[in-house]
Amino acid sequence: MPDRPLNRICYVEDDEDIQRIVRMSLERVGKMTVAVVTDPTQAIAAMAEFRPDLVMLDWMMPVMDGPTLFRQMKLRPETAALPVVFITARASQRDLEDLKRLGAAGTISKPFSPKDLPDQLRAIWAALP
Amino acid sequence: MNHTTTANGSDTGLEVSTQAVEAEISDRADPQQVLADRVAQLYRQMPIAIGATFIAGAIATFELQGRWLKELVLIWWAIVVTFTAAASLLLYAYYRSADKVATAPQWLRWLGIAALGNGASWGLAGGVFFRSLSDEQQVFLAFLFAGMASVGIPVYAASWPIFALYAAGILGPFFYVLLTFGNRLFVEIALLVPLFYAINVAIAYRLTQVFHSGYRLRRAYGRLTQDHRLLNQRLERQLIELEEARRQVEASGRKLALFAERAPIAVLELQPDGTVAEVNHAAEILFGYAAAELVGGSVKKLIRPEFHHEFDRTWRELVTSRESMAGLKLRNPRRDGVDLVCEWTVTPLVNFQKEVIAVIAQGRDVTAQLEAERMKKEFTSTLSHELRTPLTSIIGSLQLINSGVMGDMDKEVGELAVVAERNAQRLLDLINDLLDIEKVESGKLDLMPEVIAVDDLIRESIVLNEAFGERFKIRFESHGDVPDRKVHADRKRLLQVMTNLLSNAAKFSPEGGVVEIGTEDVGGNVRVSVHDRGTGIPEEFRARIFGRFTQADSTATRQKGGSGLGLAICKRLVEVMRGRIGFQDRPGGGTTFWFELPRHTG
Repeated sequence: MPDRPLNRICYVEDDEDIQRIVRMSLERVGKMTVAVVTDPTQAIAAMAEFRPDLVMLDWMMPVMDGPTLFRQMKLRPETAALPVVFITARASQRDLEDLKRLGAAGTISKPFSPKDLPDQLRAIWAALP
Repeated sequence: MNHTTTANGSDTGLEVSTQAVEAEISDRADPQQVLADRVAQLYRQMPIAIGATFIAGAIATFELQGRWLKELVLIWWAIVVTFTAAASLLLYAYYRSADKVATAPQWLRWLGIAALGNGASWGLAGGVFFRSLSDEQQVFLAFLFAGMASVGIPVYAASWPIFALYAAGILGPFFYVLLTFGNRLFVEIALLVPLFYAINVAIAYRLTQVFHSGYRLRRAYGRLTQDHRLLNQRLERQLIELEEARRQVEASGRKLALFAERAPIAVLELQPDGTVAEVNHAAEILFGYAAAELVGGSVKKLIRPEFHHEFDRTWRELVTSRESMAGLKLRNPRRDGVDLVCEWTVTPLVNFQKEVIAVIAQGRDVTAQLEAERMKKEFTSTLSHELRTPLTSIIGSLQLINSGVMGDMDKEVGELAVVAERNAQRLLDLINDLLDIEKVESGKLDLMPEVIAVDDLIRESIVLNEAFGERFKIRFESHGDVPDRKVHADRKRLLQVMTNLLSNAAKFSPEGGVVEIGTEDVGGNVRVSVHDRGTGIPEEFRARIFGRFTQADSTATRQKGGSGLGLAICKRLVEVMRGRIGFQDRPGGGTTFWFELPRHTG
């Protein structure tokens, strides 16, 4: 369990409506600081700048999907160690298992409840080594 | 049979084999039967022998009786008559006997005794009377003896030893009398007697051989004829059977041809090298070629050139393994160039030498079917993603509003937002249920089975559904926990089943009621039961309760939510996990829903 509370979240998501809901949920319910990235190709640079505690990736995105971005993050020293949580609507049980094996910290399935989202993330955060 | 053929083409081998064949034929004769034939021949001659003895005896008695020996001659005559009578009785007994074959050796012995007696009676005449007779009478008697002895040859020809005994009986005493007569001429004649005897016996021996082989051949021929007749009968029967079989084959061939001709699937008969031998009407229509355009050419005409290599490999495998293949999907170009996807079943026809003589290919156009499957998959994917994404935004927004974190708002607006959230949630449940049904029915459900303690599962499901129960003012209570009851199943899916059963029970229970959950062992299964105190299942609804889109009362859907797919999903999930599901009336009112899964041991 990390020695500080979860505070800074970077969220990569192409759907602006969901971006807004997640931002409100995390900021208003969870009292966290959120950076939202719409373009996954800009994500790594944004993360390097924002220095989040945890990264949330949407699974399905145009141009580059979540798992691809995740693999790229693993190759970059500034993002390789960041815990990553996937938000997904359609991944099968098996896909999720594969992601966990790759090193994802957790998965949250769409549709999620914005009321519970901060607690879900904190639970994943608490379970980190 | 040692059949050797030398380099210079000697036909010795042929001779050997001819002899061997003769020997083989003769061997077919039953020796006992042949002996019986000879005995029968001897007995057939007996009336002649008896008659000749009687007549010759009578003449001799007449010729010799004028002398001083009158009484002795009469005594001799009596002996001759007795013998002929005894011989007649023997003949009679022989003809009356039932089994002349088995008793043949015995009849032969009796005949030998009779022949010896017959001969000896003449010998007696020679021995006793000869010395005392006049010269003329001596000549008569000698002539009589010679005649009787030589008559014996044809009579006893079928058995030379009997002739030898008979002739010895006549000539033995005569020889002795001549030898001791004291007359040089008679001594010389006497010395001729054994010579004649030997010649006669030799002739009789030869005749016996002839008779023997004659009878043997006759018997062998009889056997052969009989064998031949049996063989003929068998051949005839087999011919009839063959003809019947031919008719059947012809009939089923006609039927098969009819099936192939009228079948809605394309049927091609191919030669082992892939040449088309015949095609049916459906194949002509499917590929747009006339039969004449395909027959005689390679079947590769119906396969895209880029797949020829793969086709060759599959074809070799087929011809080598001689096993039929099913479900082969191939791209087959139609005459107009349009590609069809056909599913083929190919069956090699093999002869008795295990050689492939033809290959029957049956093809079905699955182009439309594949397209439909692809569209269905696409639709499912759309449903899954494109519908859920906006719902995520809708439900998320409403939840945030309803949670109060956005600040206070008008009471009526708040009520409407709650209605909107509840109905958005229902829409989402319906989509999820539809996706689940589709997954289970298309066999695409990913199960992650693990060992689950049943009482843990029940506790977890109660926690998950507590809030839902509170909405209907229902409490869930578990009883009868047994810690060692375990099942091997997918936890998430099992919780889904439990949630369905618990929420149903909550929805249909009276307010303030208790839904009880129990476990028990039923055979090798663990049964989990959910008991409610609801109004029970209406009679007309029972049969289709596990069907799709079923709710007993459609107003309930609007009042209490639910897609009407819940129990259908439960049934399929439980069955996929090798269990079963059911319900029954609960004593005292209400219903018990239960499911069973195989108990996990060890």
